[in-house]
Amino acid sequence: MAGVFVYSDKSGIALELVGCAKAAGKEAMVIVFSQEAAEEVKNSGADRVFILQGDNEVPENYAQAVADFLKEKSAELFLVGATARGRDLAARVAGYLDCPMASDVSAISFGDGKVTTERMIYGGAVTQKEELTGLSVVTVAGGKYAPIEGSAEVETVTVTPDNRVQLVERAPVERKGVNLQAADRVVCVGMGVEKEEDMQMIRDLAAVLNAEIGCTRGIAEEKHWLPPEQYIGISGAVIKPQLCVSIGISGQVQHTIGIRDSKVIVAVNNNEKAPIFKTCDYGIVGDLYEVVPLLIEELKK
Amino acid sequence: MSKIVACYKWVLDESDIRINSDLSVDFSKAKGKISDYDRNAIEAAVKLAEAVGAKPVGLTFGSSKARQSLKDALSRGLEEAFWVKAEEAENADGAVTARALAAGIKAMGDVALVICAEGASDTYARQTASRIGALLDLPVVTSVLRVTVEGNTVTAVRKLDDCLETVKFELPGVISVLPEAFQPTIPGLKAVMAAGKKPVTEYDCGSLGVNLVSARKVMEVKAYAQERRNIIIEGDNAAAKVAAVVSNLKKEGVL
Ligand SMILES: Cc1cc2nc3c(=O)[nH]c(=O)nc-3n(C[C@H](O)[C@H](O)[C@H](O)COP(=O)(O)OP(=O)(O)OC[C@H]3O[C@@H](n4cnc5c(N)ncnc54)[C@H](O)[C@@H]3O)c2cc1C
Ligand SMILES: Nc1ncnc2c1ncn2[C@@H]1O[C@H](COP(=O)(O)O)[C@@H](O)[C@H]1O
Repeated sequence: MAGVFVYSDKSGIALELVGCAKAAGKEAMVIVFSQEAAEEVKNSGADRVFILQGDNEVPENYAQAVADFLKEKSAELFLVGATARGRDLAARVAGYLDCPMASDVSAISFGDGKVTTERMIYGGAVTQKEELTGLSVVTVAGGKYAPIEGSAEVETVTVTPDNRVQLVERAPVERKGVNLQAADRVVCVGMGVEKEEDMQMIRDLAAVLNAEIGCTRGIAEEKHWLPPEQYIGISGAVIKPQLCVSIGISGQVQHTIGIRDSKVIVAVNNNEKAPIFKTCDYGIVGDLYEVVPLLIEELKK
Repeated sequence: MSKIVACYKWVLDESDIRINSDLSVDFSKAKGKISDYDRNAIEAAVKLAEAVGAKPVGLTFGSSKARQSLKDALSRGLEEAFWVKAEEAENADGAVTARALAAGIKAMGDVALVICAEGASDTYARQTASRIGALLDLPVVTSVLRVTVEGNTVTAVRKLDDCLETVKFELPGVISVLPEAFQPTIPGLKAVMAAGKKPVTEYDCGSLGVNLVSARKVMEVKAYAQERRNIIIEGDNAAAKVAAVVSNLKKEGVL
């Protein structure tokens, strides 16, 4: 059958990846693990939807089955949405196939029996172009390709999942829905802030600026002062506001990759050697506990 | 005693990377380090081994430069280090890396649990744990936020994009831990001194039979161009600096 086989646990991304493959003139097949998921992708413009049917609720447990299926269909590429689940399933499939894989690529182009991809390395300081030969696995984040429409034939294939990892419980995590990607102004806060109470000062600054609040990974994942969808960087959100005000952030590349599309970046840090001063337009070397109240006052004028 | 293996990578420090005017990348001044989050993975191995009475060991696939990593890794509480050696490790892709690590795990024997970090600070491919699991055909659990081991049963809470998922499996297996799950401790002087006396086993890729040929070719490596003005506002006091910044932002039309 050849062609590109697509999977994402987020149907929206699966639709985009079908769009990507079809735009490149490839046959696109979608793999899903349930009837409900098939419903969500059957009008994606794919050539075929395959339900790999088994009695297991964890998609990653189908890795061996997917690898066997891709081989049987002589697939040329397994294109997977770069979510936590997607990356895991993709890498396990690559492992069972012992084939090349490019993770979280920013660009992909198709050649004869090859794909060429681009991805960031060293936290975003460097981009690397790679060529993968033969059946390969590539993961792509959502939001990069436009979905298309068109109905696909759905076919069910019975497979045997790996039952060694058992699901005990799933607890949904509510997303707060702050739309950082669309924000015009963002105040970004880092570990320079000492106590949770001090976040009020940051909220006050955001309020006078009419800005959303973003943060570094530590503020969200270690301190839990803001929800995880508000942290910015290579493993978090990427923003492109007109103005980004960075407060108490050292400016390591894994974070700054997420703010570097901002039009203007202002940084406040008390260490003049902090790398953030190499990544900003205007820098204030100073104590945030002195500078932020002054900023609020000045902006109110 | 069964082993709990922390996989750690010796990487170039990205903050030492220099960028030439033609956007080529100069790695010549870059020092090595244990990949940031791999220190958390080492901590995970030490803590879990302590809890179940297993032996925490380190495993790295690296070139001769990785020799420098051994003492550092051993000072973090690991009792033994295993080093799968090949100069090719420096440019290895995920396939080759996983083959080498899987071969090392087989060779050391009696492994209960393999622990990787979420992702390496150079590649951040987030694929190695899953690949090792597939190559050894072991159960895999990634994105682990909390983990306990009781008898042979591992219970792990995974942090996924939209849920917390609790799963369990029977040892042996492979997990990848999020950095938030285990905070590394800074080794004290005593631990650093003791590290030099701990055993190190070197494996040669040839004798382990590791296939170092990859179907991935690196075509181009290019730096990201950073064009920022880097104006540090000078002033007599903080109020003057703040006023100057605000006035600049108004001129730029972003306020
Ligand atoms: C693979 C990988 C992926 C990563 N992904 C991300 C990511 O997506 N997002 C992310 O944010 N990080 C990420 N990181 C972590 C990243 O490398 C940095 O460690 C992190 O961004 C640092 O956060 P910070 O600047 O808040 O904290 P710190 O580095 O601790 O910096 C705090 C800063 O505050 C300053 N400061 C302290 N007190 C004051 C004061 N009173 N006034 C003014 N300034 C003060 C200090 O000088 C310091 O520069 C990743 C790391 C790795 C290895
Ligand atoms: N060369 C290596 N030696 C030992 N462990 C590694 C190596 N490469 C990757 N790992 C482990 O796998 C994790 C994920 O790496 P990656 O898939 O490249 O992002 C790392 O954080 C390490 O725990």
